[in-house]
Amino acid sequence: MAATAPTRGRGRLAATPVVHAGAGRWIAYIGIGIGVIFFLFPVYWMLGTAVKPPNEWLTNPPVFIPSRLYFANFTDALFFYNGLKGLMDSAIVAICSTAIGMVIGTLAAYSIARFRTGGGNLSFFILSVLFMPPVAVAIPMFLFWSNLGLVDTYIALIVQYLIFTVPFVTWLMKGFFQDLPVELEESALVNGASRLRAFWEVALPSVRPALVATALFALIFTWNEFTFAVLLSRGRVTTLPFILPTLMESHNILWGDIAAIATIGALPVVIIAFALQRYLVRGLSFGAIKST
Amino acid sequence: MATRVVGRRQASGGGRRFALLTVAPATLLLVGISIFPLLYALRLSFMQDSLLSVAPPRFIGLANYGHLFHDSLFWTSLGVTAVFAVSVITVQLVAGLVIALALDRLPRYQQVIATILLIPSILSPSVVSFQWRQLFDYYSGPLNYFLGLLHLPLQGWTASPREALPALVLVDFWEWTPFMVLLIFAGIKSLPKSVFEAARVDGSSSWQVTIFQTLPLLRRVIAIAVILRLIGAFKVFDIIYSLTAGGPGTSTESLAFYTYVQGFRYFDLGYSTTMAFVTLIMITVLARLILGFMERPVGRAA
Repeated sequence: MAATAPTRGRGRLAATPVVHAGAGRWIAYIGIGIGVIFFLFPVYWMLGTAVKPPNEWLTNPPVFIPSRLYFANFTDALFFYNGLKGLMDSAIVAICSTAIGMVIGTLAAYSIARFRTGGGNLSFFILSVLFMPPVAVAIPMFLFWSNLGLVDTYIALIVQYLIFTVPFVTWLMKGFFQDLPVELEESALVNGASRLRAFWEVALPSVRPALVATALFALIFTWNEFTFAVLLSRGRVTTLPFILPTLMESHNILWGDIAAIATIGALPVVIIAFALQRYLVRGLSFGAIKST
Repeated sequence: MATRVVGRRQASGGGRRFALLTVAPATLLLVGISIFPLLYALRLSFMQDSLLSVAPPRFIGLANYGHLFHDSLFWTSLGVTAVFAVSVITVQLVAGLVIALALDRLPRYQQVIATILLIPSILSPSVVSFQWRQLFDYYSGPLNYFLGLLHLPLQGWTASPREALPALVLVDFWEWTPFMVLLIFAGIKSLPKSVFEAARVDGSSSWQVTIFQTLPLLRRVIAIAVILRLIGAFKVFDIIYSLTAGGPGTSTESLAFYTYVQGFRYFDLGYSTTMAFVTLIMITVLARLILGFMERPVGRAA
């Protein structure tokens, strides 16, 4: 009874003492089993379709297990239906926006964590931007970009996505900097280092794993982003989230090919999520759980 | 945990300049791409400004807001959003609690299973929409196949005016319940152990512990999870755009989608921004109410 698992990562994910009777545990097993099947079935269906030969895409009854693995869907999707262009555009926008967001956000996070710049108001303002519905600023931003002649360009999407990446990076890195003991930086300052050097040579290297985790989360957000991708694209810059609905409109029947594109789009995100298991709660909860 | 301030003595000198310089880019940028557009939108909402009309934009005061009251499509979309929000929040909260509590009872592999369960929430909405487009297919979709096996009538799902909104609720349930599970599960893990130990000494059964001890302690986490999903439900656009485009008819035309239609299909900028503003105000007020309600002290306990 009450097997206490070893405490991990500041105790946030440490097991609470398990208080249960035998029957309760079996109910839990069955419930979790049903949950896993329910939440994975649509994913399985997409993967299955991606490797089905064309004559098995639209059958009744549906084919649950493909008769053979048909990888031509992937090559068709990449080279025939703009999948490759979509991948490249998604990668360009996500990587650039994440990189810029990391620089701007990490600086702000350090300032807020170490100097309480702007008191609580500034950090609340930065966080609240994350919760604004995109549709609220969509029209002014669209007018802005079209006045500059930049609708449907990489620049527009990259800057637009800073509206997520900057507040997200600031908020997450602020927590990591607050967890970092200040003594090291203080002794560097006492030894004559400038503020910038204390930040660059002492604080930043100490939070390297957190920087990686934060950047990967920001990549997930920008890679997946839908609303601005649809509103600010006219067909030249076509990220994966933009291509998929377009393909569904025009080629409703090419399910194997679309499934292949969707699978390619989903793969990096799922891999990153498993790599970041330890940071998932902190990265996705937006401060819902007091994580410091 | 209080933050220590580095070198407070020097805060007036180089430290202060450093602090302001490092925070400036983020602040200026966010003012530029969120506050400034928001103010511009507010100004637009007092204008008659349609890209389709030759007349120059002119100030019309609160006329756009007045127009909302007489626009039956606005009320329809508000109704769609309300039904959608209440449905998804209720089912996601209940399922999220049950799954999180069950997860907490697993003797091992909790973190791996939590990550597996989370997959729907981290996929792009357009990938999610594609998956459900396939599942909903009347002829070759597995959902109707299962119904057929059970000798139940086949459904039109997103193609039927009556079922389209429940179908979207199902998609949203699938996509966001895992996120709810993650939040509540993390909330359970952050509870102090002493609560459970004291309860065991009292001889409470495990379900009594759950209902009388765990749930009240999770109020804050639940409140914030509900607010996050409320915001999500009010801005739901992606799955509607990809799965139903507001139809059939206007059966799934939510506030966010109607705002999009007015702004990006009819190019009525003034009216569209008016709706965006009203939505923003509603979200803020509702979030305040939920926080106030959930954070009220429990009071008369023991």
